[in-house]
Amino acid sequence: MKKILLLLLCSLAGLTTHAQSGRFTMKGVIADTAGVGLPEATVMLLLPKDSSLVNFGRTDKQGAFEFRNVKRVPYLLKVSYVGYLPYQQNVTPKEGDVTDLGKMNMKFLNQDLYEVVIKTARAPLSIRGDTVEYDPRAFKVPPGASVEDLLRRLPGMQIEQDGSIKAQGESVKRVTVDGKRFFGDDVKAATKNLPAEAISKVQVFNDKTEQSRITGVDDGKHEKTLNLQLKDSHKKGGFGKASVGVGTDKRLEGKINYNRFNEKNQFSVIGLGSNTNTGGMSWDDYQDFKGSQSFNWGDDGDFGFGGGSYISFGGDNDEESLTIQAGRGGQNRGFNKNWAGGANYNYDEKKTKFNTSYYYNQTSQDLDGISRRTNFLNNSAFTTLDTNGRRNYNANHRGGLRFEKTLDSLNTLIILSNMRIGNGTTDYASHQEYYRGQQDVDQLSTMSDVNNYSDFNSFALGNTAIFRHKFKKKGRNFAASFGYNINNSDGNSIQKSMNRFFGSSQTLPDSVININQTNETKSLRNQIKSSILYIEPLSKKFILESFYNFSLKTDDVDRDVFDVKEAGREMNTNLSRYYKNKSTFNRLGTSLRYSNNGLNISAGLGAQEIHLNGDFAVNQSDPVRTNIDRKFFNWTPNLSLNYDLKNNRYLYGGYNVNVSEPSISDLQPIVDNSNPLYIRVGNPSLVPTLTHSGNLGFQYFNPGSFVQMFFGLYYNKYENQVIYNQTVSENLVTTTRAENISGGNSFNAYGNYGFPIVKTKSNLSLNASYYRSNNLTNINAVLNETNTNGYNMGLRLDYTPSDKFTIYTNAGWNISDTKYSISSGQDQKIVNTNYGAEMNFKMPKDIYFNSRFSYNSYVNKRFGFDQSMPILNLSVYKTMLKSKKGEIRLSAYDLFNKNRGISQSAFGNVVSQEQVRTLARYFMLSFTYNMRGVNNSVRRKGYGF
Amino acid sequence: MKQIAIFIIFIVSHALAQAQSHEGVVTYERVQYWTKVISRLDFLSQEEKDRATLTWGKQDEWKTKTTLYFNQKESKYEEVKEEGGWGRPDDFLIYRNFENEKITDLETISGKTYLVEDSLRAPQWKVMNKIKEIKGYLCMMAVSKDTIKNQTITAWFSNDIAVQAGPEKYFGLPGLILELDINDGDVVITAEKVELKPVTSELMALPKKMKGKKVNQGQYDVILADLMKTSIKGRRNPFWSIRY
Repeated sequence: MKKILLLLLCSLAGLTTHAQSGRFTMKGVIADTAGVGLPEATVMLLLPKDSSLVNFGRTDKQGAFEFRNVKRVPYLLKVSYVGYLPYQQNVTPKEGDVTDLGKMNMKFLNQDLYEVVIKTARAPLSIRGDTVEYDPRAFKVPPGASVEDLLRRLPGMQIEQDGSIKAQGESVKRVTVDGKRFFGDDVKAATKNLPAEAISKVQVFNDKTEQSRITGVDDGKHEKTLNLQLKDSHKKGGFGKASVGVGTDKRLEGKINYNRFNEKNQFSVIGLGSNTNTGGMSWDDYQDFKGSQSFNWGDDGDFGFGGGSYISFGGDNDEESLTIQAGRGGQNRGFNKNWAGGANYNYDEKKTKFNTSYYYNQTSQDLDGISRRTNFLNNSAFTTLDTNGRRNYNANHRGGLRFEKTLDSLNTLIILSNMRIGNGTTDYASHQEYYRGQQDVDQLSTMSDVNNYSDFNSFALGNTAIFRHKFKKKGRNFAASFGYNINNSDGNSIQKSMNRFFGSSQTLPDSVININQTNETKSLRNQIKSSILYIEPLSKKFILESFYNFSLKTDDVDRDVFDVKEAGREMNTNLSRYYKNKSTFNRLGTSLRYSNNGLNISAGLGAQEIHLNGDFAVNQSDPVRTNIDRKFFNWTPNLSLNYDLKNNRYLYGGYNVNVSEPSISDLQPIVDNSNPLYIRVGNPSLVPTLTHSGNLGFQYFNPGSFVQMFFGLYYNKYENQVIYNQTVSENLVTTTRAENISGGNSFNAYGNYGFPIVKTKSNLSLNASYYRSNNLTNINAVLNETNTNGYNMGLRLDYTPSDKFTIYTNAGWNISDTKYSISSGQDQKIVNTNYGAEMNFKMPKDIYFNSRFSYNSYVNKRFGFDQSMPILNLSVYKTMLKSKKGEIRLSAYDLFNKNRGISQSAFGNVVSQEQVRTLARYFMLSFTYNMRGVNNSVRRKGYGF
Repeated sequence: MKQIAIFIIFIVSHALAQAQSHEGVVTYERVQYWTKVISRLDFLSQEEKDRATLTWGKQDEWKTKTTLYFNQKESKYEEVKEEGGWGRPDDFLIYRNFENEKITDLETISGKTYLVEDSLRAPQWKVMNKIKEIKGYLCMMAVSKDTIKNQTITAWFSNDIAVQAGPEKYFGLPGLILELDINDGDVVITAEKVELKPVTSELMALPKKMKGKKVNQGQYDVILADLMKTSIKGRRNPFWSIRY
């Protein structure tokens, strides 16, 4: 309205031409306090309401400026000039064409302020009228310092002996925190008690006196006030989650975790337990537990291609690992009980990182199953029926320490130590029946009842130190590592079996072998290892990477086997064994890498030697020692290709040779007949297995259209593969002997194609793979070639139309065709199929419904094996409490009560089927409390972030 | 751009003397903090965001170097190519011609290269009250907004270098932008080296071959907005395939 009025006035007065009625010219002169014009000053025209930049210009030699033909509205004029405080003034256009603002004087920027705040501390300084604002992050104070310590460092601020504060020479009368008064008028209370780290801003300004605040009458007096702005709490906090579930059939589930963290420290605890086959920590739990120390790559200190597999030190499986294991998922076999709990602390700062953690877990597993197995021999076969029960218990304490220090910009040191103390027991009972031929009805050959029990205690410790050095020359790097590992275990076992052999009669055995043995095994393994890596950039595109690995592994094993007779224990000198074995590993290698514009090719060659030297005896006191002294030398080439083609297409491939030394148990020249139906014979002349592996793959993803595609090939060929030749006696006793053979191979091709039917609403993906393998074994001195052809096909269809309703379906077919050359016509065709569907919907009042259905079938027609398992799980849940912090859930698992652990396979000269009694139908009511709120969605968790 | 056209420059007499400070090369360090970007994705729960921050927050810096060639008439901004690196650098070049009021951008989004040619349109800036020093230059703060990517932009510009140029796609302030902060520290682009020196026309010249699908700014914005929308709907971080 004002504008229009103004316009009207202007036109009426006829002061301007029509074209210029809404416009005017603004001019003025920028000068210093002495009135001397400042040339080249920047003059900006802003809109007062939001500081929008409308126009800008510079002053001339005399400090004059002029904006012509600008809109007739009020402006905020802002001027900046080096060494002066920015100047600003509100401008309201005057009547007439020209508004002359006259001379405007700019003040010098306080030199102290400039030098200290801006130059030295490199901190932004805010000027709002008479308020000057500091950012305390720029003024470094030691951890734990108080606000007082911080204020001492701020320019223009003085702290007196008694703690009173002076700002710009005047006494500070009042200290406020976030604009509010803090502990009355005692200025010291706030500054002495608050930690400097909690402050995000320090503001100093003149405020009205208390008197004028109360009366509302400005008495013109002002008091210096200091305001401390607190930091947002997002850098500091704690959160936790707890859930508990109670079900029918005594099913229980519980989990609790809590985290507390600030800028440098993270602390967390976790506890979980269940008897519902849920398994241990998930990856999410693990990340919440270990925080910034969740993933540390290269901590094994083994450099060079092929990674650490060359100098392994046990611990490849979960139970034996020294570090905390996660993401194993649930067990859908048998009945499992899990308990676990631990605590973790991280100190994480740019230059120093420290982590320590403790974790305990125990699992007990009940497996009761029946299995059926047919072994093919040279134009004959035998079949085994096995009804067995296993009770396994395992407990582990794990402790870890990790320290990483950036010594300076070029040197880093990492020291880590991990420990595990474990114990466990296994109880195994089995009734086995051996039949001649492929059926389990007639021609009973052997009946065997086995009762074994074992327990063990173990202690393992791994220590590694890694030093990394970067040279001044870009890309040149050096690293060295040293490790010392120890693994001590002590086990006892009792092995009892009664084996009845039938020949002439099916009811009266021809002979009976009873086994009753106890066995004590102590083993101590020590390893010293070291690796060196040197990277030299030859040019911008070529890099040479050279490495050396060394490992000395000593095994000291004492196994005492006793036959338990009526008269007492008697040492079994055939099975008792004491040995000391040293395995020395040396590898030297180099590889050349070419990298340019997305193309990475590397080619390398390694030379390695494994030296095994072992002494074997019946026990320590036995003077007769058998010595095995073997040296194996191998060349190991390595090629790799990674090509980042344009438009999200990637090509990759490689070739490498892996050498694995024969295991010491296979090398020992002994006959192990602790299982009288399966006798193992060692072979001291074994040589390492060489595996040649080649692979090639391609992948593509279009983030715009969501089309995804990948396919690839794998090929493995074995040289001197260690196989177990079988000799099966008339009594169906199998004797195996480890032997090297060449010619086994496997090939795998896979492909996947996924695309949206309706973008973001419906997706279809198809996959197919083909697998072929060729395994060799001698059966009764005849070479058997097992050829398997496997075909997989699958599809997934997702339908996610809204945030209230989703359906996910999948189907998969797996056919494997196995042929045994020694028993032609015994082709095994195993067909496994699965179909699945999941539906989610959200109802009003935050009630959700989820249902999952799966149908699995397992068919092998030759043996009349045809099992199917329809599983339906349903759950309904509701978020509740303030900010949706709670959730209550009612679930039904396996509503049809059909769950079993079913598996079938064909390998070597064997085809087998197994069924294990497994946790089936139960109902559960559970409650979850999450401090950050329970976030429910009908959609599956995404992985694209 | 009318604003620029209608305002009158008073520095003709100074042009020669000041020529030195009107052209040069700035090398910026561009740091992107991935977990901060992740914490802005609406489709993730607070728990997932916290998890990412606690796990990766201390090591999520992604550093690259960029270069800006500038004079009073034009500017060219690109990534410093690091040879021997693992990945394939995306096509990226931002060219501004202040004299002809033209832009030429070569940009890759989701693996596809676009050549954007259009007229020059400056962002809407607001000039604030803060000052700080960057590489010896006193800078003032200005803020703006990217409505497509939904980002707040904070620029620190130096009036001592009287050119409108700046890093990424930002320009149009009374002085050269020496620091650009996208979304409160998600990405920070800070001048590491400021060299005031004559910039030869070869340095400023665009490559002869610029392959890419030709679009104008409007079309480009539509493609970008669409990709942002579908990515978020498909629960995928759009900034895996879009420059933040």
